Amino acid sequence: MPAWLEVAIRSICILIGLFIITKLLGKKQLSKLSFFEYIVGITIGDIAGSMSMDLDIRLTEGITSILIWSLFPVVISTISLRSKKFRDFVEGNSTVFIKNGKILEDNLKKEKYTADELLEQLRKKDVFRVADVEFATLEANGDLSILLKRDKQPLTLGDIKPYVPEEKEPQTVIMDGKILDEPLATARLSRGWLKQQLDQMGVAVENVFLAQVDSYGQLTVDLYDDRIQVPAPQQKQLLLASMKKAEADFELFSLQTNDAEAKQMYEQQAKHMQQLIQKLRPFLM
Amino acid sequence: MTIGSQVKQSLANMKAIHATLQELALTSTNEEAQRAFHEAMLQTEQMIAALKGRISTLEREEPQYKGM
Repeated sequence: MPAWLEVAIRSICILIGLFIITKLLGKKQLSKLSFFEYIVGITIGDIAGSMSMDLDIRLTEGITSILIWSLFPVVISTISLRSKKFRDFVEGNSTVFIKNGKILEDNLKKEKYTADELLEQLRKKDVFRVADVEFATLEANGDLSILLKRDKQPLTLGDIKPYVPEEKEPQTVIMDGKILDEPLATARLSRGWLKQQLDQMGVAVENVFLAQVDSYGQLTVDLYDDRIQVPAPQQKQLLLASMKKAEADFELFSLQTNDAEAKQMYEQQAKHMQQLIQKLRPFLM
Repeated sequence: MTIGSQVKQSLANMKAIHATLQELALTSTNEEAQRAFHEAMLQTEQMIAALKGRISTLEREEPQYKGM
């Protein structure tokens, strides 16, 4: 067998093997690489590289090495799942840097952090005044997590409105001009409904790059042709406007009529409508 | 425009509100919103009934504006 053919076969086999190993290691390894996992990854890559090129290394030896290197992290992570103590030992614990608004200098020293580095980390989190921080901790992966003091925390909708209705995740119902049936069913809508909505907008399914339905059944689309303007959904705003108009109508009629009974009826309906608007406003905003 | 036709226009507006509420109640996936829209829809039905009653009274009083 010529050398190049053997290299080719080896490379392909190792590629497939590595692919399976990375699938086995899982997603967690990608997002949260600890130093140990980082080193393991490099080593596996190095072994695989030299195995595919260096014909002096026998395949069995190389594979044994790769298996040990790749199975070790798997074993460690399975044990970590079971035991908290083992986890703390392997992955490390977080260190509190600021507590009750005061910097804990001893912990800084323990993690070999200077004041400058702490300030730098805080600035990366858009905090320029240490006095604004209530609590900060250095996570095991080296990130600094910060809890701001209550009066420095960003404003959320829940702070200004006593009641905010939940909003579910939008569903993507058209992608690359094709209708996706599964998300459509999750939104409890049908192809017929979708076609009708698209007809109302005056676009064909084939011209839609992406379309999403929000939890109120409102459809937003993005077309291939960016020159075409598609109206934004206005159903909710229109409903609120026409409800206000109805309320105004009732009030107007109650002023115009001379019939006492009708006047009372109109006033009552106007009041009802007002209550209805109050009740629905959070959903229609 | 006579009062009769104004009331009829208002009735049409109410019917549109009713239909939109019904549609929103059916297409919303959020249960809370669904319930709110459904209750609102039922309330608008009462308003529509009240308006219809007033329209028939008006038509009896001024038969020349009947119809439409």
